[in-house]
Amino acid sequence: MIRVLLVAVPVVLALVGPLFVSDDVPRGAPFMPNSALGTDFVGRDVWQQVLLGGQTVVLVALLATVFSYAVGVPWGVVAAMSRVVDDILMRPLDLLLAVPSLLVLILAAAIAGPGLPVLIGVVTLVNFPDVARISRGAALEIAARPALEAMRLQGESWWRTSVVYTGRSMLRTLAADAGVRLTGALYLVASASFLGVGVPPDAADWAVMVDRNRVGLFLQPWAVVVPALLIVALSVGLNLTFDRALRKEAV
Amino acid sequence: MTRYALRRLAIGLVQVLAVVTAVFLLVQALPGDAAVALAGDNPDPRRIEEIRAAMGLDQPALDRFGAWLSGLARGDLGVSLVSGRPVVEFLADGLGPTLILAVVSLVLLVPLSVLLGVVAALREGGVVDRVLTTVTVGLHSIPEFALAVVLIAVFGVQLGWLPPTAVGADLLAQPQVLVLPLVVLLARPVCSVSRLVRAGMIDALASDHVRHARRLGIGEQRVRFAHALPNAVAPAVQQLARTTDWLLGGVIVVEAVFVIPGLGTILVDAVAGRDLPVVQGLAVVFAVTTVLVNLVADLVGFRLAPRSAVVA
Repeated sequence: MIRVLLVAVPVVLALVGPLFVSDDVPRGAPFMPNSALGTDFVGRDVWQQVLLGGQTVVLVALLATVFSYAVGVPWGVVAAMSRVVDDILMRPLDLLLAVPSLLVLILAAAIAGPGLPVLIGVVTLVNFPDVARISRGAALEIAARPALEAMRLQGESWWRTSVVYTGRSMLRTLAADAGVRLTGALYLVASASFLGVGVPPDAADWAVMVDRNRVGLFLQPWAVVVPALLIVALSVGLNLTFDRALRKEAV
Repeated sequence: MTRYALRRLAIGLVQVLAVVTAVFLLVQALPGDAAVALAGDNPDPRRIEEIRAAMGLDQPALDRFGAWLSGLARGDLGVSLVSGRPVVEFLADGLGPTLILAVVSLVLLVPLSVLLGVVAALREGGVVDRVLTTVTVGLHSIPEFALAVVLIAVFGVQLGWLPPTAVGADLLAQPQVLVLPLVVLLARPVCSVSRLVRAGMIDALASDHVRHARRLGIGEQRVRFAHALPNAVAPAVQQLARTTDWLLGGVIVVEAVFVIPGLGTILVDAVAGRDLPVVQGLAVVFAVTTVLVNLVADLVGFRLAPRSAVVA
């Protein structure tokens, strides 16, 4: 029950929230406690910003995870097919994994400039090497199975052996990994936005709100604490939910 | 084992070179350069050209990279483009706070997470285990900044028990400024390491050699801590290595929130100022620590559980 609430409250706020905000943003004095949650560092209503700010966090994390799989799975499967290709494809990834991910994030975002597509792209870039590794491992294991050898001897087409059979067998491994990836992406997206990577400085975004309103922590703590708690609830809830699902699967 | 260590060191050297090259290329691709950043808000194109020539930024990238590499071989990391200070001084400045945070975190992390993992494993399936599992799984995913600001709001502002940031404080002389940063730094690693110890301990307690030790009549405490524990800790060593690597790589977010002038802060400033030599110097430090930490972790893991042959 708690688990469901932890995920549901931030997600519903993030997806439905923007519908309840009128277009004109009234501006008052910064850090005033005059409404439910007061005003933020430029005098916007904090509650409105909370309603608006979840969308980017949730959608960017989701999209980045989807793209990590879209790039990583074919990458890993192709690498698993031949030794030579394996080296060409996997060596550069080892390198990418050796550079601290926030350094990659900061540099890549500084090169490409701000914008949500950039943020999605950078988080994908940091995340997909792991996906590629896992799918390569899974594909190698499946390729060695007798069933696949039998299919090949029977003259089944490449499509049926490589895509239909291998793909279906990999699904379990990938599904188990998806939860970890999504929480990882959420973590990266939030941290990046907090550091001001890839988002405009006055964006309505929970992580940006936490960063920008920090100066007013003594005057108006709600502007910081509410978005921070929403991010905490979402990440804790997601992790607990996926962990639970995995353990049920294992039993 | 010595041959293995030497081989790994050689591979590590190549890895350091590769990382440094990659970072050089990335910094090359940054829009604008230190000359633009230095020229101020209303840059005069002539002035930018002058600064560029003075810094050698007008030379081909390959030449500059070559010069930088030959300097590196002599232990010379060059000087900052922005302030003209030697890069080594930047690194020395940042290393202090980063090392303090890293060492204290590790000193607390190892006993704490081993203890939690062992306690959970010995009560597998019980209430203690379930509570510990839920808490560690939950805590693990919280971004540091979110945890940090909530802690600051509660303990720094509302209750006023602890200083909210470390602005201008001497970290060693005023240890109370370290409390909140350390809690934030420890939250994630404690979860991941203790869960690995728990899993390792459960496996080890059910393994053949522990059952054999029990049949020999060795006392239960001795079986647990002398025979099962070393094998249980071996898988956690890899995770500890990652944590150490992360701690030494300058914990950018925690340093930013608590205003600690460590390597992470220097990195953020250097990227913002397009200070290529400083970014390069930091990349060298990060790459070297990554290689060394992983090497040490593999050797330690090998000592703890010699059966699991190290794959070179």
